Amino acid sequence: MRYYFFHLMSWPYLPANFADDYDSAWVWLPNSLYDPVKGHDLYQNYLDTLAYADELGFDGICVNEHHQNAYGLMPSPNLMAAALTQRTRRCQIAVIGNALPLYNPPLRVAEEFAMLDVLSGGRLVAGMVIGGGPEYFSYQVNPTYARERFREALDLIVKAWTTPGPFLWNSKHYFFRYVNPWPRPIQQPHPPIWIPGAGSLETVEFVAGRRYAYMGIPYFHIDTFRRMFGLFREACEKAGYKADPEQMGWGIPIYVAETDRQAREEFEPHLWYFIRNLLKNISLAPPGYTSAKSALAILRNRGQFLADQKDWDAIEKGVFAIVGSPETVRQKLDHYRKELGVGVVLTGCQTGTLPHELARKSMALLAKEVLPHVR
Amino acid sequence: MFDALKKLKYGARVFLSRKGGEPEVIDVRGRPVSIMSGGDGPPFVYLHSTLGESMRWLPFHAAWSKHFTVYAPLHPGFGQSGGFDEIDSIEDMAFHYLELFDALGLGEVILGGVSLGGWIAAEFAIRWPERVKKLWLSGAPGLWVEEQPLPDLFRDMANVPRLRSLLFHDPDGYMAKMVLADNIEDERRVMGFQAMTVLARLVWERPYDPKLARRLHRIQCPTLLLWGGNDRLVPPAYGEAYRQHLPQSEMKIIPHCGHLAMFEKEAEFVEAVTAFCQ
Repeated sequence: MRYYFFHLMSWPYLPANFADDYDSAWVWLPNSLYDPVKGHDLYQNYLDTLAYADELGFDGICVNEHHQNAYGLMPSPNLMAAALTQRTRRCQIAVIGNALPLYNPPLRVAEEFAMLDVLSGGRLVAGMVIGGGPEYFSYQVNPTYARERFREALDLIVKAWTTPGPFLWNSKHYFFRYVNPWPRPIQQPHPPIWIPGAGSLETVEFVAGRRYAYMGIPYFHIDTFRRMFGLFREACEKAGYKADPEQMGWGIPIYVAETDRQAREEFEPHLWYFIRNLLKNISLAPPGYTSAKSALAILRNRGQFLADQKDWDAIEKGVFAIVGSPETVRQKLDHYRKELGVGVVLTGCQTGTLPHELARKSMALLAKEVLPHVR
Repeated sequence: MFDALKKLKYGARVFLSRKGGEPEVIDVRGRPVSIMSGGDGPPFVYLHSTLGESMRWLPFHAAWSKHFTVYAPLHPGFGQSGGFDEIDSIEDMAFHYLELFDALGLGEVILGGVSLGGWIAAEFAIRWPERVKKLWLSGAPGLWVEEQPLPDLFRDMANVPRLRSLLFHDPDGYMAKMVLADNIEDERRVMGFQAMTVLARLVWERPYDPKLARRLHRIQCPTLLLWGGNDRLVPPAYGEAYRQHLPQSEMKIIPHCGHLAMFEKEAEFVEAVTAFCQ
């Protein structure tokens, strides 16, 4: 059982009227709302938090990629991962991930991930994503090719890491006469590959078929995760093997304080900041980004996303976050990780406005009072 | 109440006009193409907008069929029409229609379309001008007017009220509310998503053809540019831009009309197209 600490690096300084007066925290939210001087301190703090997770004994730390938004301030997670290779000694560094269709040429990802693996001495987890819907608006990359390009780019990257170069690559979207990346990764045959997903059958079957690890994106109702991992296990069986728990990751925000009441009081306002501001328009879905079949499934699952929740009761019942005393968190975490059958938990608590000292306090309680009991 | 009556009346006309076109699926070099045809007279091909209005034989199709043999095919990716995997660009659409016309044995046609359909018609006509007897375009994108950038339809595609005000002069009119209904079942929503997927493939990265303007001179046939005076999606300035590159064209504005003239001002639209094509 492995525990990773993830960080979105959210922007905490949105104006108080943001939820009412702006229609999006993505793509077209005016970048005049970003303050680079405050941004400097924020990056320092966020990097400190991630380095602290290494000190506390988390198995890994996670960064990810988003563009033109206040939800996550890492247009290049690889830059943050590079900084973290120099600030951490032991933990894995999971970049979950690079949005492959946004990279042209995608060989850039093979190169940068290899750099990170070499820099960190083989601690990289290579996450590959299709990228969220809003990114296709921000980068004007054609969403109707998202899945084709993702698969071609992924195959190209894995081949670039595992086949001696130079070799020629020819597929529908990419042609390269000389595939020959320097450096090559330390980990053999290549760094572990994680594919984050939100339960679409296409992705589940693809990841199972390739024997990669499927990371369930957080902020969904527990039923969504139940269905998702059930589908994944079935898909592995169809592919002729039994799913390894390490192939399944569950994304779940966790906040721990001295008592249940204190935990909720400290955490709840910051979760609402996140829900009401930063999730605004995250579901922006460009046409063709999913198949029509998946689009229908998404429509039918309305109400299962964190942004649709209106009160604390709904959040607790849907297990959108685990919040409480060490004892409460221990019980819930143990119950659900066993029920879901996952071998990897991706947890985080920083929702943007949560004060750094509270984030660090919760992380320490989680690492010291909870995790030793749920390994 | 008045609107409800109008709506009923339109529904009855749709029902009656069905007798004209019989949908069939034909094979074009391995691709199924859904097409309706009806009427008698010179061949007249109507290329539909992203709404996919040629899924049904509508009153405006029927009106033309009194004068022409009307062909109303569905583009690849719409309804039963396959071959979308082979479509990467607007040029591929033009080649698709070349092959369809060959399959139908059509030499020279009267060609026209609304919005996306109009753009495809223009792209066809610059490549094979000898196949086009007359050309008409309504609300057609394809060019770029620096002073009036096209709005982002994809941003508003899930917002019905915003979509209505983008596509109709009168967003509260009965036609706006019928074409873009408030509550539609999920299956229809998915069909809309699929239609927008076809459009996105063609226009997402660049919502116009940078080579079209300097190739328009190849079109020598009479051309009608028929625009809704209040088209907010593809403003009349785009019709004007076509006109500047097509010396033999005429531009006609339908007042109090948005992007979808065939719905918002059906009588004027049908009359203008028919008069020009006869």
